[in-house]
Amino acid sequence: MTAKELVNKIFFVEILKAMALTLSRMFSHAVTIQYPTERRPIAPGFRGQHALAKNPEGKAKCVGCGLCAAICPSQCIQIFREKGKVARYEVEVLRCIFCGFCVEACPYGAIVLTENFEYSNYSKEALYMTRENLLSNWDKYMAGKKGEDYFKKFWRPMSEDFGTPQSQAVFRGRR
Amino acid sequence: MEQLERVLETRELNVSMGPQHPATHGVLRLVLDIDGETVVKVTPYVGYLHRGIEKLGESLSYFQALPLTDRMDYVSSMTNNIGYVNAVERLFGIEAPERARFIRTMVGEMARIANHLLWLATHALDIGAMTVFLYCFREREWILELFEKICGARLTVTYPRIGGVRNDVSQEFLDSLYKFTEEFPTRIPEYETLIDKNRIWLKRTVGIGVISAEEAVNWGLTGPTLRGSGVPYDVRKYMPYDAYDKVEFDVPIGTEGDTYDRYRCRMMEFRQSNNIIRQCIEKLPPGPVMADAPKFTLQPKDKMFPITHPTKKHAFYIDEKVCKGCGMCARACPAKAIFGEKKKPHKINQELCLSCANCYVTCKFKALKIVPGGKGLSEEKLRELAAAPLPEEIKNAAGHLVEHFTFVKRGPRAPEGELYVATEVPKGELGFYFVSDGSGKPYRMRIRAPSFIHAGVLPRLCVGHLVADVIANIGTIDLVLGECDR
Ligand code: SF4
Ligand code: SF4
Ligand code: SF4
Ligand code: SF4
Repeated sequence: MTAKELVNKIFFVEILKAMALTLSRMFSHAVTIQYPTERRPIAPGFRGQHALAKNPEGKAKCVGCGLCAAICPSQCIQIFREKGKVARYEVEVLRCIFCGFCVEACPYGAIVLTENFEYSNYSKEALYMTRENLLSNWDKYMAGKKGEDYFKKFWRPMSEDFGTPQSQAVFRGRR
Repeated sequence: MEQLERVLETRELNVSMGPQHPATHGVLRLVLDIDGETVVKVTPYVGYLHRGIEKLGESLSYFQALPLTDRMDYVSSMTNNIGYVNAVERLFGIEAPERARFIRTMVGEMARIANHLLWLATHALDIGAMTVFLYCFREREWILELFEKICGARLTVTYPRIGGVRNDVSQEFLDSLYKFTEEFPTRIPEYETLIDKNRIWLKRTVGIGVISAEEAVNWGLTGPTLRGSGVPYDVRKYMPYDAYDKVEFDVPIGTEGDTYDRYRCRMMEFRQSNNIIRQCIEKLPPGPVMADAPKFTLQPKDKMFPITHPTKKHAFYIDEKVCKGCGMCARACPAKAIFGEKKKPHKINQELCLSCANCYVTCKFKALKIVPGGKGLSEEKLRELAAAPLPEEIKNAAGHLVEHFTFVKRGPRAPEGELYVATEVPKGELGFYFVSDGSGKPYRMRIRAPSFIHAGVLPRLCVGHLVADVIANIGTIDLVLGECDR
């Protein structure tokens, strides 16, 4: 054992160093947030609870083609049609895995995933999202510009994904 | 009676550790035979988290099975996805474009950092160093936030796609990721200050769970667990996939093959991964992010707009002269709006029709016609309009629509054959083995999960050590039960 090692051992140097680090961290900002009172910003395109999109006239876009139900890996979408209309459209949120495939499969751009993730409930019934709930989700979370942007950015693929668009993110140097 | 014969004596004790033990990383159950504090025999029991992912994969199309892989190793779901799409792409014989490969490499390495951070946090916590846990989660949160930015989910990302990635990265994402790579190397020394030379940490890790290089190879270990023993095996180096052949990195190895060396290996991998991300950002080429392989990827949405976003709903009409009466369209119609006798021309009840195009994409005889904006017109008018040739843009859109519907309902068809593709996930070598019978679903999907194989080596590592070292050994092989049990 060299003299230095001996000194280190006797004076707990490595432990003191670690403690100095933790002590210095006491004076920096807290990285945690106090959740229910404080909320972190949610990135656009978040895959939360569903909503059924409305067209500018305020009517549901969904025609009931059933592609979303066909691609859903957990088979949690049920659609019932009556007299040329979608009578019932139900998403069983308990089984949904929020993969977002329903959004990608829908050719009509009629379903989106919203930023709502706080929908826990005591009753199972409340977690079967009905067509009315889903449509009101659209008004709540996606109305206006937000919905438009969602389709532009997160309803993929678009033909620009298969080609080279004008403005694409590249490294812009150190900043 | 046996109980009566029992006298005061020392004897081996049989203890069940787990499946609800805070240090067994989930639901691992180890049955320990202990002699005092020394472990004599270890029997791991796995399967508590079995969800039948391999079997489920056989009942879903290749496209649909992707989110299942998220749920295997849930702390680095991105690398699982990458492993899966790489295997499926090889099976289909398609290749992702350059840019997509760079993006995948980039996000894969982010997942590696996030995984090792979680590993370090819990490993240190198990051994008794609480502070490291908090520091690691601080940086992990940063990565998860970046994941959220790019794909809308933090843990179960489902971001790569067969033939590319879901969406292109934004400039904002790229800038903040670059900032992360500049900041992160200053954070690694912090973890090291806390535990690297700490005498308790050294006492708990040096010389614990030693396994020689030869033995490690024989046990089938991979990843940092193997490299700690000094074997420089890394799939990224030996069978490069994605853009790993275009970036430079070292494969850190240990010498002793003990818990401390495996810890050092992973600490070095932090720096290597950080470097790879940085190179990927700097070299990120412009170009497409999805492969131009129409049968294997979703169709571009905007190409279908003339049909899917009409100003007035289109009508669908069956041409009596062409219709063979096969009844396929009637079966495909979700609204049951098509009726007719077998072998006789069918008819659409326009009252019930949703204008959803399912019948259109189903008819093989081209008997179905689109009448642009024709919803609500009378039968005669529709017949008249259906005879007119379609406008060019609608015709183009219809082609894409047919492809899209077929893709979604049946999934991409794989050629017959079998193959095994390995990728390097943070835990080790993740392999996908497919047997394809030429249909849209795999006949057999087998996953070589590194955690499963590493769980097998636990008895070898633990025997002869103290009970407390079992915890260190579980930590050092970086076990995630979601992947182990699948
Ligand atoms: S949401 Fe879209 S895919 Fe689902 S039924 Fe409606 S239109 Fe079809
Ligand atoms: S997000 Fe995925 S699991 Fe949920 S409804 Fe859509 S397709 Fe199904
Ligand atoms: S468009 Fe849809 S609802 Fe109408 S007849 Fe065809 S399949 Fe049925
Ligand atoms: S699928 Fe085509 S040919 Fe067969 S019944 Fe329908 S319209 Fe007629």
